[in-house]
Amino acid sequence: MLSMPELGLYFSFLLFLVGLFTVMFRKNILFMMLGVEILLNAANLAFVSASKITGTIDGQVVMFFVMAVAACEAAIGLAMIISLYRAKASVEADDLKLLRG
Amino acid sequence: MGIETVAFILMGLLAVALAGTLATRRFPVSAAMLLITLMVLLAGMYGLLDAHFAAVAQIIVYAGAIMVVFVFVMMLLNLPPEETRFGTLTLGEGVLTLAGLGAAVVLGTKVGHGFLRSAFQPTNARAPFFPEPENLKNVAALMFTDYLWAFELISFLILAAIIGAVVISKKRKTHAEHA
Repeated sequence: MLSMPELGLYFSFLLFLVGLFTVMFRKNILFMMLGVEILLNAANLAFVSASKITGTIDGQVVMFFVMAVAACEAAIGLAMIISLYRAKASVEADDLKLLRG
Repeated sequence: MGIETVAFILMGLLAVALAGTLATRRFPVSAAMLLITLMVLLAGMYGLLDAHFAAVAQIIVYAGAIMVVFVFVMMLLNLPPEETRFGTLTLGEGVLTLAGLGAAVVLGTKVGHGFLRSAFQPTNARAPFFPEPENLKNVAALMFTDYLWAFELISFLILAAIIGAVVISKKRKTHAEHA
């Protein structure tokens, strides 16, 4: 029988899979950003579970830093989405292929 | 199996199910609401793992601040509803993805577990075991000693992100002309 923090690591893996699926397969940039948030949350769950497994508090400190990075990512990403929407009137990734070779 | 473990498993399964539902929604706003619920569930899981500060920060910062920005932008854009569209993979990309996931499973279960068990054991004198009842005090003690530089750099990162967000989303005449 797995202990609770070990179960947390497995849940973190499942959440990461779903987030990866969202980022890879959705064509809407807003959904891709929500997928990135799921990815970061999965990483946070892994950090907190590891903190419990090892009996150290480091994981929780790093989890707080990841949260700050997520806030920056959301602010910059959403500003870029607004800017792109003004330019292209679309939030679909397929419409933004200017740099495709 | 204690009641805590049962609650933890239920919360974890519900969180994964919510994430799966999120990936297939049509409206971004309903997906954002699902994500807020998912974050509250994760906060409960952190609480069960004795990470009380993480649980409170999860609700205040994630569900309270970051998701509000998301919902705000979604309302600002006011997109028309559209059908859910998924991309496709070629065979080679699919094989590569499966290989990567397999490597992740192996690393996560075998190597990662052994690493966690060995790397952070008593040899690690820098971060000794803290008694759990004073979680916030312990987090603060570590954050403002060993992680002080990281903390300060993160504050600069946030400042840069604020300025960057304002500059990027500012209306520019030349920008509109190019578009």
